[in-house]
Amino acid sequence: MIIKEIFAILFFALSCIFGIAGLIGMFRFHDPYSKLQAGSLCGTTSVFSVFLGAIFLSPNTAVTGRLIIIAIFFLISAPTGSHIVARFAWNAGIIPWNPNKNNTFSRKEDE
Amino acid sequence: MSAMLLQWMQWFQLFCAVVCSIRLITAKTASDRLVALNVLAGVVLALLVLRGVSQGRSIYLDVALVYDIFGFLGFLAIARFLKDRMTGDGGE
Repeated sequence: MIIKEIFAILFFALSCIFGIAGLIGMFRFHDPYSKLQAGSLCGTTSVFSVFLGAIFLSPNTAVTGRLIIIAIFFLISAPTGSHIVARFAWNAGIIPWNPNKNNTFSRKEDE
Repeated sequence: MSAMLLQWMQWFQLFCAVVCSIRLITAKTASDRLVALNVLAGVVLALLVLRGVSQGRSIYLDVALVYDIFGFLGFLAIARFLKDRMTGDGGE
């Protein structure tokens, strides 16, 4: 019983760290691609850690099975959503941010 | 012990959802808003899952699964709508 709670505390602490980092990155980065990277990667890791910790704390088998189904579907749907956002930003003509020069990564249509 | 842990994580996910909503409201461009909406969907899904596990009732987890599916479809529709409007307005 106590080993389950220790594993749950580990995963929940991981979720808190990645969630805070993702939120800070979503506010502090410059262009939508970097914000998408911070928010999407850290958000996916945080939510998936919550699922793993909840599997350790689940009271019965029905809850555990539904948690596994939700985790599998989340692993499919979250990267697809990020891809949709990135393609939307790229089609909208947003140039990726570069600290050295103004734009080295020029879009293909401009050349 | 485990009830207190689940309670704390629910408060943390609620805090994350409020911060994402602030970002969703105060962002300047449509891409930033879509990024915030993408993160907000995952955070609310985690909140529903934690609620269901802490109450011990599996009906909340069904609600979470359906919320994830419909959130994904709605997100697809919003992106398609914004893209069509953008090409219709500023394309030519």
